[in-house]
Amino acid sequence: MAAASYYEDGIARFLTACAIVWALLGMAAGVYIAAELVWPTIDFGQPALSYGRLRNLHTNGVIFGFGVSALMGTAFYSVQRTCHVPLFAPKLAWFCAVGWQIGMLAGGISLLAGWNAGKEYAELEWPFDIAIALLWVCFGVVFFGTIAKRRIRPIYVSNWFYGGLIIVIAMLHIVNSLALPVTLSKSYSLFAGAQDAIVQWWYGHNAVGFLLTGGFLGMLYYFLPKHADRPIWSYRLSIVAFWAFTYSYIWAGPHHLHYNAIPEWVQSLGMVMSLVLLAPSWATMINGVMTVAGAWEKLKTDPALKFIVLALAFYGLATFEGPMMSIRSVNVVSHFTDWTVGHVHSGALGWNALITFGTFYFLVPRLVGGSLHSVRLANVHFWLALAGTMLYVLAMWGAGVSQGLLWLAMDDLGELSFSFRDIMASMAPYYALRLVAGVVFLSGAVLMAWNLYLTAKGRPTVKVSPP
Amino acid sequence: MTRFYRTPLGLLLHPKTAFARVAESEPAPLHVFFLHIVRLALMPPTLAFVGAWNFGWRLGAAEPLYIETSQLVLVSVGYFIALLVGLTGTAAAARWMAPTYGASKAFGSHLALVAIVAVPLAVGSIAHLFPHVFLNLLVFIPALLWSLYLLYTGLPVALGVSPERGMLMASSLVAFLLVAAVTLLGVTVALWAAGIGPAIGV
Repeated sequence: MAAASYYEDGIARFLTACAIVWALLGMAAGVYIAAELVWPTIDFGQPALSYGRLRNLHTNGVIFGFGVSALMGTAFYSVQRTCHVPLFAPKLAWFCAVGWQIGMLAGGISLLAGWNAGKEYAELEWPFDIAIALLWVCFGVVFFGTIAKRRIRPIYVSNWFYGGLIIVIAMLHIVNSLALPVTLSKSYSLFAGAQDAIVQWWYGHNAVGFLLTGGFLGMLYYFLPKHADRPIWSYRLSIVAFWAFTYSYIWAGPHHLHYNAIPEWVQSLGMVMSLVLLAPSWATMINGVMTVAGAWEKLKTDPALKFIVLALAFYGLATFEGPMMSIRSVNVVSHFTDWTVGHVHSGALGWNALITFGTFYFLVPRLVGGSLHSVRLANVHFWLALAGTMLYVLAMWGAGVSQGLLWLAMDDLGELSFSFRDIMASMAPYYALRLVAGVVFLSGAVLMAWNLYLTAKGRPTVKVSPP
Repeated sequence: MTRFYRTPLGLLLHPKTAFARVAESEPAPLHVFFLHIVRLALMPPTLAFVGAWNFGWRLGAAEPLYIETSQLVLVSVGYFIALLVGLTGTAAAARWMAPTYGASKAFGSHLALVAIVAVPLAVGSIAHLFPHVFLNLLVFIPALLWSLYLLYTGLPVALGVSPERGMLMASSLVAFLLVAAVTLLGVTVALWAAGIGPAIGV
């Protein structure tokens, strides 16, 4: 049984490497479509290069390629250490990790080929939906199997968040993907009309909630105390925040459908629960900020802690902006504008990507038993990430508020003052600025990939035994 | 009378001297408020009023958007009050954070720090004279970067904390400011929807 007494860390290394490759691919696709909005002809008449197909590759690549690989890798890494046992069913874990990469790669190609289920953030067609559901169940078996055989009685808070991610995403994905297949590449949703929209945004918003927020909070709750070398400021607050978060998030989806053909009370409920959500979201932010506040001396030696500090700032912004935009009198102007795109990216770049970068700078040197190849490069990356995110958010705030105002502007006769086409044509300078922001952010990610590659190159994964 | 800097240009060239003066003098809050904060907060609304009255707001579409003079006065006064509340509120937030980061607890110092950090943005508001949204954005981005630089370098000096704790406190303030900025955006839009400001079909 000697082999079983080591943590299964090779899988965390594999998934980290995959996450970095997906980050580069997904972000590069994002930069390309940002360029297409400035120079529309650079699709060269190729369907696979059209905005409609590349945009899906971008979102699926960064959320399910980069995000999920990072979450799976860090969940497998941390659950062993918080339970003091090696991973349950390591072969199944490898099947799940490798299968996910193959599924995402094939799924990405299918999106470029034009297969599309027509649901935002759930574009992959039914064969992939089935594969994702099976792999996700495997993820759950490995994760909860490890928790079941733990040697520490309390279940640490990061595992509550990772567990919430696994259970809720399984539920959302399976229900939202229920469809009638017609051919291999085409299916139709089992839900019709407004109900389809409600189910879709129940899925869509909670994918943001339990994957992009809850899942990454699991990452924060494990890696922040490790970085800071001190416990969470208030453990009780973290548990209260988890249950409040889980209870309130699931109701918030209808705020994506304000002023649409769904019952008004459903819209109001979605709005109110979105506002309630601010409390648990910020409880976690305060917990994080106060944990770091006591560990300021670590900033001298840990280049990655800065990423986490900044990630918390953008988490605070995004979790405030979201509830605010769910208020109907704000949403009437902001909906369908680039303000929404800016909001998503303040979360995706400022929170998800930065917390993951900070985690990888911490994790990779420990996985290979060395030190980071270049602290200086990591510091440069930090400033590129901050500049890229800020530029992106500012460009989209400017574009979004202008669009909202111009679309609704009326003349003295009550006619709309401006045509949609003219308004969109005038957005080119903002889109150029957004392109610059994307290039700046992506170049930072390239530096990280290079830095971590040189950190890990030629070094085997360190073998660590449970205490 | 305490002056932390003589001209905005002087501040841009020698920022650390200004912050060191704050640390030495521990200025009185009311003094900083009337001498610096009110003056800074007056600049952008005045310039925006003149610009919007003369040229109208250009949001990118063909015709500029003119706002009635009475509405313009209301919006400009609102802008002034928002800036006063915003600047004082930021100082109050910094004062609230001070015990956590072991920083100076003198409210006057926090107010002075905010007053200095806001100078590049106030100077940048010269762009309001020609209210083209994208032009304003282009001017405000470098101004904002300069303000951020002043915040990160000046905070440890003005409030007497180590650079590491200063970095954390400055980041917490950035989070506060991001939230404040987006609140301003949200409140503005909600006011439009309520019929105050430009005429929109809601």
